[in-house]
Amino acid sequence: MRSRRRWFFVALAVGTLLAAIVAASLVRMGSFNVAADTPHSQPVFWLMNTVRERSIAVRAASVAVPSDLTDSKRIASGAGQYAAMCSSCHLAPGMKRTEIARGLYPRAPELRRGSDLSPAEEFWVVKHGLKMTGMPAWGVTHDDEMLWDVVAFLQKLPELSADEYQALVKSAPAHDDMMQDMEMGKREAHGDH
Amino acid sequence: MRKFVFAKLVLVAFGLTALVGTPLAMVAAHEGHKMECNKTNINAMNADIQAMKDGEDKTTAMKEMQMAQDMMAKQDMKGCMAHMHDAMEATEK
Repeated sequence: MRSRRRWFFVALAVGTLLAAIVAASLVRMGSFNVAADTPHSQPVFWLMNTVRERSIAVRAASVAVPSDLTDSKRIASGAGQYAAMCSSCHLAPGMKRTEIARGLYPRAPELRRGSDLSPAEEFWVVKHGLKMTGMPAWGVTHDDEMLWDVVAFLQKLPELSADEYQALVKSAPAHDDMMQDMEMGKREAHGDH
Repeated sequence: MRKFVFAKLVLVAFGLTALVGTPLAMVAAHEGHKMECNKTNINAMNADIQAMKDGEDKTTAMKEMQMAQDMMAKQDMKGCMAHMHDAMEATEK
């Protein structure tokens, strides 16, 4: 019985070592194609997606959502931010696909078609960004209030026509002015997430 | 007689313009859709399809792309382009 157990552990160790050697060889040979113009195989795509979705869900669970996401000022401010920071990749109503949107891999979701993420998850993604997707961490340069404005706008975005979107963007304060206000500390900052 | 020759020349000119212009117009119409059947475009379409939400449109796009790739393997570029066009329409819905 003892010798059987010993053989099991020896086989397990040898198997693990072999797997590590094979994995190291594949890495060394450059077997994995990192080119953005060649999509992942379906299993790799599924794995990457699932890892990303779970990572976001777990980390966003502790994010407290403000109660004023339907506030029209917030939505207008978010529209301005969205037009300046997000629309070149995530597009907007009435907008044709941009060169950057066509070349990104994985593709940036077209947010005018809606999103599967909750507001807390959207906030977390906007704030922290996503590795290996091209999504930057806007929390590095923007305070939480500005990012919640964007999240508020995202709730409204799928309902907007091209004209409504343009009108909302026009009514928004200029992005540079908002950044200046933020730097001068004129905007209230809520807790850290 | 001169008038007749002139009218004939104008007609020929119109005919030639139509012959040369029609394919050009078709190319321009499909430019946005990048219809050419090659590996780069097929990869780009597959990446677009991967990003779609599950549903009827995604299934249609996947089927059309599979058929496009089958056609490409058979060197049937016209068939490939037609299926790529259908796949693209499904992704844009």
